[in-house]
Amino acid sequence: MKGFLNKQAPYVFIAPTLILLTLFSIVPILVALAISFTDMDLGGLANFRSISFIGFANYAEVLKDPVFLKAIFNTLFYVIIGVPLVILFSLAVALLINLGTSRIFKAFRVVYYLPSVTNIVAVAVVWSYLYNPAIGLFNYILNSVGLPDVPWLTEPTVAKLSLILLALWKAIGLNMIIFIAALQGIPKSYYEAAQLDGANQWQQVTRITIPMLRFAIFFVSITTMIGWLQFFEEPFVMTQGGPLDGTLSVALFIYQNGFKFNNFGYAAAGSFVLFVCIIAITLIQLRLQKNESDMT
Amino acid sequence: MRKTLAMITTVALGAGLLAGCGANKNAEGGANAGNGGKADEKVTINVWGMGEEAKTLPVMAEAFKKENPNITVNVQALPWDQGHDKLLTAIASKKGPDVIQMGTSWIPEFAEAGALADLAPYVGQYPELNPDNFYEGAVAAGKAGDKYVSSPWYVETRVLYYRTDLLKEAGYDKAPQTWEELSDAAQKLAKRGDGKYGISIDPKEQSLGFMFSRQNGATWFTEDGKPNFSDDKFVEAVQYINSFYQNGSAPKDLGLDIIPAFKQGILPMFISGPWMIKLIQDQAPDINGKWTIAVLPKKENNISLLGGSNLSIFEYSKNKDAAAKFIAFMSKPETQVKWMEQTSSLPAATAAWENDKLKNDEFYKVIGEQLKAAQPMPVIPEWAQISDSYLKHFEVIYRSNADVKKELEAFNADAAKLMK
Amino acid sequence: MSATTAGQKGGLREREGGKTFQWVSGIVLTIGGLLFLLPFIWMILSSFKPEGEIVQIPPTLWPKSFTMSNFNYLFENMNFGVYLRNTLIIVLFSFAGLLLNAVAGFGFAKYDFKGRNALFVLVLATMMIPSQVTMIPVYLILNSLGLTNTMTGIVLPGLVGAFAIFLFRQFMSTIPTELLEATRLDGASEYRIFLQIALPISKPILAVQAILTFIAGWNSFLWPLIIANDESLYTLSVGLSLLKGQYAANFGLQMAGATFMVAPVIALFTYFQKHIIENFSISGMK
Repeated sequence: MKGFLNKQAPYVFIAPTLILLTLFSIVPILVALAISFTDMDLGGLANFRSISFIGFANYAEVLKDPVFLKAIFNTLFYVIIGVPLVILFSLAVALLINLGTSRIFKAFRVVYYLPSVTNIVAVAVVWSYLYNPAIGLFNYILNSVGLPDVPWLTEPTVAKLSLILLALWKAIGLNMIIFIAALQGIPKSYYEAAQLDGANQWQQVTRITIPMLRFAIFFVSITTMIGWLQFFEEPFVMTQGGPLDGTLSVALFIYQNGFKFNNFGYAAAGSFVLFVCIIAITLIQLRLQKNESDMT
Repeated sequence: MRKTLAMITTVALGAGLLAGCGANKNAEGGANAGNGGKADEKVTINVWGMGEEAKTLPVMAEAFKKENPNITVNVQALPWDQGHDKLLTAIASKKGPDVIQMGTSWIPEFAEAGALADLAPYVGQYPELNPDNFYEGAVAAGKAGDKYVSSPWYVETRVLYYRTDLLKEAGYDKAPQTWEELSDAAQKLAKRGDGKYGISIDPKEQSLGFMFSRQNGATWFTEDGKPNFSDDKFVEAVQYINSFYQNGSAPKDLGLDIIPAFKQGILPMFISGPWMIKLIQDQAPDINGKWTIAVLPKKENNISLLGGSNLSIFEYSKNKDAAAKFIAFMSKPETQVKWMEQTSSLPAATAAWENDKLKNDEFYKVIGEQLKAAQPMPVIPEWAQISDSYLKHFEVIYRSNADVKKELEAFNADAAKLMK
Repeated sequence: MSATTAGQKGGLREREGGKTFQWVSGIVLTIGGLLFLLPFIWMILSSFKPEGEIVQIPPTLWPKSFTMSNFNYLFENMNFGVYLRNTLIIVLFSFAGLLLNAVAGFGFAKYDFKGRNALFVLVLATMMIPSQVTMIPVYLILNSLGLTNTMTGIVLPGLVGAFAIFLFRQFMSTIPTELLEATRLDGASEYRIFLQIALPISKPILAVQAILTFIAGWNSFLWPLIIANDESLYTLSVGLSLLKGQYAANFGLQMAGATFMVAPVIALFTYFQKHIIENFSISGMK
């Protein structure tokens, strides 16, 4: 019996989690997939019999919807600019903090982590004030050094960048502590050996630290990518997708169609388009990583 | 491995079946649920209240329980932002409250989904629910087709707030009476200097464009029920609104909250609902006596918006009778006055306006007058989406001063698509 | 050589004239940190301002007159006690989920079994669909299980998550296989290997995940609201959102609510990093 249990150990390890995930994620996703082929609206939600299957009509329509296409463009904009910045900054901050010797560096962990834990309602109130065109702190600072106002949230491209800045502020902390945890897992003996060989600090970072962090970097880049492809909270609380749909993300588009306008079928179709994109990008990432270091 | 897969499949299928069965069972349960809750039986009814109202509802529930000791009222407070999500899940599971507070804009969609019970059968038993007791516009907003699915609870309408001192300096001893005067006053006020404006017209407020167009005599739908938003009357109204942004008398992105801006005279006029009265009194006490409110300026008419909240019985409620009794209680003029004292929201029952507190108050008098010329937005399920689409087109107009007629034609086409 | 801490590592470097580096990085971090903190400082200070001052133009940073009335009001008028209790229950349960995630991450990281990659991609796939889309189906499933309006119904769907499994898998992959083999040869069962080898080595990542779990539970919002048909099941976040709707124009009160929600997290995180992240031993990895 014991031997059997031991043999089955990996399955025993993953079974409880898989059951829960199946019940509360995979089955609902399949249900949503089914919904995406229907014309379900509020009436359909109340009475399932009134739902009819309409094949790929939702998909055909959503892919032609100029608002959806704009949302895809915006989302790619967010991802292409935001993801590298998040990884770069959180890695840099983690390295600086980890290399610091003074006690003050420990305090920085808390400082940089704080934004990640802050309630989004509070974030919205505070940042709306910072970006405020009339009394906002940012414009005030710009004006006081003789620079003109910046239309933080009122010009489509600037607004996208402003939301990226906000998201960056919120995201660095979380990834930073993941990096710090990984940094602390690097055996000290490696550095000692390198020092004996006369490596300087920069060489230690590039030759030991970064390669040893590749599991963490891989994790952070995949989860950050997935997170940014689902960019939602920031435009939701700050701009509702405006101005002129300039900050509308795909996830927000889905939310607005599903929960504001009750077009559940249409929203589900939109989310499966997003789903396919995310899967494709993630698989590419997995494959690249595999070729590079054979670690997956 | 095969075993694991088999197990997963079984679980998945089981869950799917369960979900299916559950839903069916509930559907039947909902259909069979009669008008239970006999007068002498002990029942508990659940009331979903939104936002600010929910805070004070328990006080009324107490009072109700005193009159009806066998009915316990359980109030659940929901934030407005998530109330819609929550109602969706209630409908999907056929499980929910007995009484729901309904924002008037939600009524058409939920009525169409069959989630709101017809109140007509209860009017005989509870004369308080008779539609004749309420403002006509509020009743119209609470109907879905001919079905009387919600009973007016409180109403609100938009009026003009203005700084009497600043308007006087600009040569206006009383509020602007017509569209021309409003535009003129706004431009004169804007000339006071850099960073000063004449009026605040919130470009994110969905219904303002429709309100102005109605004042201009536009009809929103053709006789065969097609949208008519690129009609000349409508175009004229939107051109009128746009002129405020283009000539600098209304700010596009000021970013100031209205109250401090009003207090400092940056925005000496704005159009808003009765809730602002108390807020200005509380947050800007130094300008007391320097501001007041007036009915809206007129073009062909000065019909304002009528909004507010209604009370409905959830179709799947098992205590419909007790629920109706509670709604009837909330509709009594005495209760409505008491409610107004607690929350400063305005009674929907016309009889309540006979109360001295409402009759003699300078502000309430104006609002009472405006309520006589106040109509709701169209009661159709697509309206939320249509007005959202309007906002997007209007944003193009005021930001880039686009051709109004062309943009509204595009909007009309979108609206036609939404309504098909 | 049993502990790696920033202090010791740096001590070696000081000899190499890394002092300038220390100063530069200290200054860079300080400037960045101040920018990071600015919104908080403003939030906390605002929660002590009376209502009139908060909407004043130009705004004040330091309150001209301090008032506790926002906080007093918060506790007198909201059921914050009940909300706090519910929030803590949710947090407690999610720690049970933390172990499930760890064990699954270990399974995926250190065992080669049939279908592993396919199953893992399946796990990852669950984090690729916006949660709004699956909300109603999940609700219907819970409803058919009779779990609506129960604490179980609130806790269960969020118990395990792909992000956490992925995190554990990623870090447990770095545990040297030889170490596990050696223990296995000593006759330990797979379960003992997990408890005695894998778990202790993964302490840093456990700590990270514990913080994340706490924060997710602490901020849980939409789901408690959807599942609960009774205010006695509401959480702090729901309370804060009610507050926002009910006192929309009262920023001071909202700021006080937000401050109240963030303060315990700051305290917890400070404690954690002092006592757990810094003091773990990684001797097993040598």
